[in-house]
Amino acid sequence: MRHLPLASFAIIGTMVFVAVFAPWLTPHSPIDQSLPDKLLPPFWEEGGSTEYLLGTDIFGRDLLTRLFYGARVSLIVTALALTVGGGVGLVLGIVSGYVGGKLDAFLMRVVDAAFAFPTILFALLLAVTMGQGMDTLVIALSLFLWAGFARVIRGEVLAIKQRDFVALARVHGSSPARIMFVHILPNVLNTFMVLLTLNVGVIIVAEASLSFLGAGVPPPTPSWGLMVAEGRGKITSAWWLSLIPGIAITLVVLSFNLFGDWLRDRLDPKLRQL
Amino acid sequence: MLRRSRLLGGVAASVLAAFSVAHAADHQEGTLVVALETLGGQTMDPILEDRAPHAHYQAPIFDALIGFNLEKGGLGPGVTEKWELAEDGLSWFFHLQKGLKWHNGDPLTAHDVKFSLERTMSEESLSSRAAALRRNVKSIEVVDDHTVRVYTKGVQVHFPAGLSRAVFQEGQLMPKNYIESMGVEKFRSDPVGSGPWKFVESVPGDYVEFEAVEGPHWRGTPNFKRLRILLVPEESTRVAMVRTGEAAIASISPESIREVEAANLKLISVPATMQAIYQFWGMYKDSQKDSPLADVRVREALSLAIDRQQIIDHVMYGQARWPMPFATFPYAVDTDIEKWQAWGREALRYDPERAKELLAEAGYPDGFDMKFANTALPGTPYMTQIGIAVADFWQKIGVNVDIKHYEWGAFRLLYRGEQKSLTGAASMFRTAGRPVAVARYSGGFTSKGGHHLFGEEGNCNDFCQAYDKLHQEVVTAQDAELRAQKTDEMLTMVADSWIAVPIIEGMGYWAINPEKVGAFKPIPGRHEFGDVFERMPRPDQKPW
Amino acid sequence: MQRYILQRLVQGMVLLVVVTSIVFFIGRMTGNPVDMMLPEDATEEDRQDMIERLELDGSVMDQFGVFIVDAVQGDLGTSIRYRKPATEIFFQRLPNTLAMIPPAMILAIAMAVPLGVISALRRGGIIDRISATIAVLGISTPNFWLGIVLIYLFSVTLGWLPSSRMGGPLNYIMPTITLGTFLVAGFMRLIRSSMLETLDSEFVKLARIKGVSETAVIWKHCLRNALIPVLSLWGVFMGGLVTGAIVTETVFAWPGIGRLTYEAVIFRDYPLLQAVIIMDAIFILFINLLVDILYAYVDPRIRFE
Repeated sequence: MRHLPLASFAIIGTMVFVAVFAPWLTPHSPIDQSLPDKLLPPFWEEGGSTEYLLGTDIFGRDLLTRLFYGARVSLIVTALALTVGGGVGLVLGIVSGYVGGKLDAFLMRVVDAAFAFPTILFALLLAVTMGQGMDTLVIALSLFLWAGFARVIRGEVLAIKQRDFVALARVHGSSPARIMFVHILPNVLNTFMVLLTLNVGVIIVAEASLSFLGAGVPPPTPSWGLMVAEGRGKITSAWWLSLIPGIAITLVVLSFNLFGDWLRDRLDPKLRQL
Repeated sequence: MLRRSRLLGGVAASVLAAFSVAHAADHQEGTLVVALETLGGQTMDPILEDRAPHAHYQAPIFDALIGFNLEKGGLGPGVTEKWELAEDGLSWFFHLQKGLKWHNGDPLTAHDVKFSLERTMSEESLSSRAAALRRNVKSIEVVDDHTVRVYTKGVQVHFPAGLSRAVFQEGQLMPKNYIESMGVEKFRSDPVGSGPWKFVESVPGDYVEFEAVEGPHWRGTPNFKRLRILLVPEESTRVAMVRTGEAAIASISPESIREVEAANLKLISVPATMQAIYQFWGMYKDSQKDSPLADVRVREALSLAIDRQQIIDHVMYGQARWPMPFATFPYAVDTDIEKWQAWGREALRYDPERAKELLAEAGYPDGFDMKFANTALPGTPYMTQIGIAVADFWQKIGVNVDIKHYEWGAFRLLYRGEQKSLTGAASMFRTAGRPVAVARYSGGFTSKGGHHLFGEEGNCNDFCQAYDKLHQEVVTAQDAELRAQKTDEMLTMVADSWIAVPIIEGMGYWAINPEKVGAFKPIPGRHEFGDVFERMPRPDQKPW
Repeated sequence: MQRYILQRLVQGMVLLVVVTSIVFFIGRMTGNPVDMMLPEDATEEDRQDMIERLELDGSVMDQFGVFIVDAVQGDLGTSIRYRKPATEIFFQRLPNTLAMIPPAMILAIAMAVPLGVISALRRGGIIDRISATIAVLGISTPNFWLGIVLIYLFSVTLGWLPSSRMGGPLNYIMPTITLGTFLVAGFMRLIRSSMLETLDSEFVKLARIKGVSETAVIWKHCLRNALIPVLSLWGVFMGGLVTGAIVTETVFAWPGIGRLTYEAVIFRDYPLLQAVIIMDAIFILFINLLVDILYAYVDPRIRFE
């Protein structure tokens, strides 16, 4: 049994904390500009100042402040997209795998359709139709997620339903709903968790890619992905613009992954039996 | 007066031709590599392409009827040495240079000009001004091998300007014989022109390649043997390519200026290629009567709230200029440049105190709410940043700005039809560098124009009607002095309305690797280098 | 089996029609290519004229009818921007993208399988941690950023590799890494977790009891089973691959279909967009069918009814 991943908790906790309390943590605004102060380096570099600890961006906005508020935006977007996309995928995957037959065939064709339709293009189309915004982004990212979840979970369920304990439950007269959500669900949670943790990173990065293509969170709202995308042209002259939010993304994604591993150990029914 | 200046232009052309001949003795070698963010549709047929892409990679192959003033920008001699309006004002004469040849050896004559104009106006043409040409041109007559006479419907004093590559693409010349005998398909896959570069090949989505003509060319004889224009969509990659020497020249945006300077590359800023502006939509409508923005004092206050110098210094990294009135540039015709430059410095100053006073006078001492649609044309991504900066300045005098971003294609949908979602809002916009402002004013302010900022057909109040009338006077004034006076009135009327307000005069930005190409001068107002490549020296040669 | 495949093909056709219709109607909601072609000073009259010349007048339903009739005959229309048949443009660009995918897949598999298996065996150990970190770095680095950093490192600073564009084998290195990294991470994590599960299963225990060598147990019995979810995830990664291709092609100036599709959206080049999506869909449906057949082959527990 693994130890509690304290470092991960600390990092995720910090992210949530700065996201929630951003306005009280910094004297600066994430949006108001101070053009003469543009592109100041972090305080430890020559020319940096302690007023802007991590330096400023192209509009002279405090990078640390934008990082705090960006955490807020990135967290909300990730949580909503995972809830909607992952949830729909989980339920459809279980139902499709267990019920089988025509329903399965139909649902899997819909999943195929979702794959056949490059979701990033759908996100782009949405962004140009509805205008850029958080709502558009969440819809696009959910569409990006659900089919993948459904397909993998369904694959797992196909294998699980051959197992003895499912047959046993059926013999005992459990309703299909009960079998699916009491007996099968715990057995796919393992995979579901792996997918969730894997997808925190995928979502944050997909959001960055959408920003790169001009369909992410609309500026001046800060999000971590947008910050990396906006700073990409200044890797040599103002490295902090993209590297600092990039490191933040890596730390948080790493933490979510370690956290997911730990959760997996806790939730996996087989491991508990041992 | 008008005629004398044209003649002078003709003299300049001969001097230029002599200059090129002197240079023709030099051998041609090496390949000039240029990286661009877009190659448009990469069609080689002049009637199928948009303005900006055509000026990158069709201009090397094809000559235009009217060319540039290379020093100042604006119009200058092209294939036409001089042009003049007939006494009655109803037709234009174009006198062609003699001895020009197509790449296949055929002579270039007045028949080719007539053919080209007719092809540009035809149904198969996708030129943006095809419809306008059809409306304006009555007939085209070949007077002799070197003279063409175009009869217009009514007086069209700015007709030749529409055939200059200084802004437009419609003056490009195509070979009549070649197209008629080989067919359009052959022409498209293997185009023949009369420019200083011959077409070699075009790989879709990748590059276009050209080869220099051997003999002397009146536009300048190329110093490089080959010219290769690459499509490299990502700006960071383009800058990297110039640094490694894989490209000699790359188009950039102001954001990369620091990178370019830090890497010891050369930066070239082509002056006066565009103007970034913002404008208020549908203010003439009844529904806007009570809007704060309907008060001209409020609109002036919003302009006074903007510190343009800060935008120039910090958003544009110093590479932009103080603007003149809407759609006017230092090379504008019929315009008192000094007067209007002075106007710009005064009227467009940063004066937040006065701005607040004006707001208070208008009854909004505590500000108000407004909508602002931010957008950027493809190729000018920095417009978005200017928009964000402008919104921030408005916030600072207490106006609560609700800013929303639109991708360009989505934005253009908004101002079609009733302009429902834009009415009562401000938006970013821009205008390309152009010598004749009035054509742009037509799209912006006449009741028939695409934006119809002053009024629309069926809802044209006194102000709108007065403007329409004035506009008509400008475009039909044959007398140069009268035209200048009417143009002045037109500029004044628009400037005082504070409905479409210039923010900065932008430039065209290029990163140059001095080890790959020598020093050269761009043409003011023409961002693209399609008419400059032939004069670019090799790195070991004298600057041009 | 044959009946199953036939059935799938028919379903695929229906799906194609649905996807195409969606693209057709959504595309037309997003704007008009005419607006991307006309300059800022165009009048309403110029616009109408251009719409007529491009045959974009008439109701959307009429246009849809024309489109379907033509499509059935194999004509997917002429690209508005490029003025060439849309399918011709697609097939011109397709080889460029196809050339980029196999190296990326090979890189991903070559790294993911050993890393995944070893980290499952040494669970909680140093190797596991290192693999996990590599995986996370792969997932959490936006590939446009990775691509640009690679260019600055290997082309600008070290001068070892060409910065971009197609060309010799050297030109493939950075795009392959950029596109492959994302896949490595995903593959590795999945192999690891399903390896862990398989290692605990009854039949592995049985194999061990029977005295099958540990190497054979791991590499033959376990890996085969562990690959099942990876196979099914191949479909999932297609979405990522398309995104990756758009981004990678943009960064490395690679004239492939990813970039083509992106530009078709931005330019509202409806015929080209429709053609590309139909072709993409056919390609992906075909892969999915292949995966399902392989699935049945690798996992004998699954039978087609």
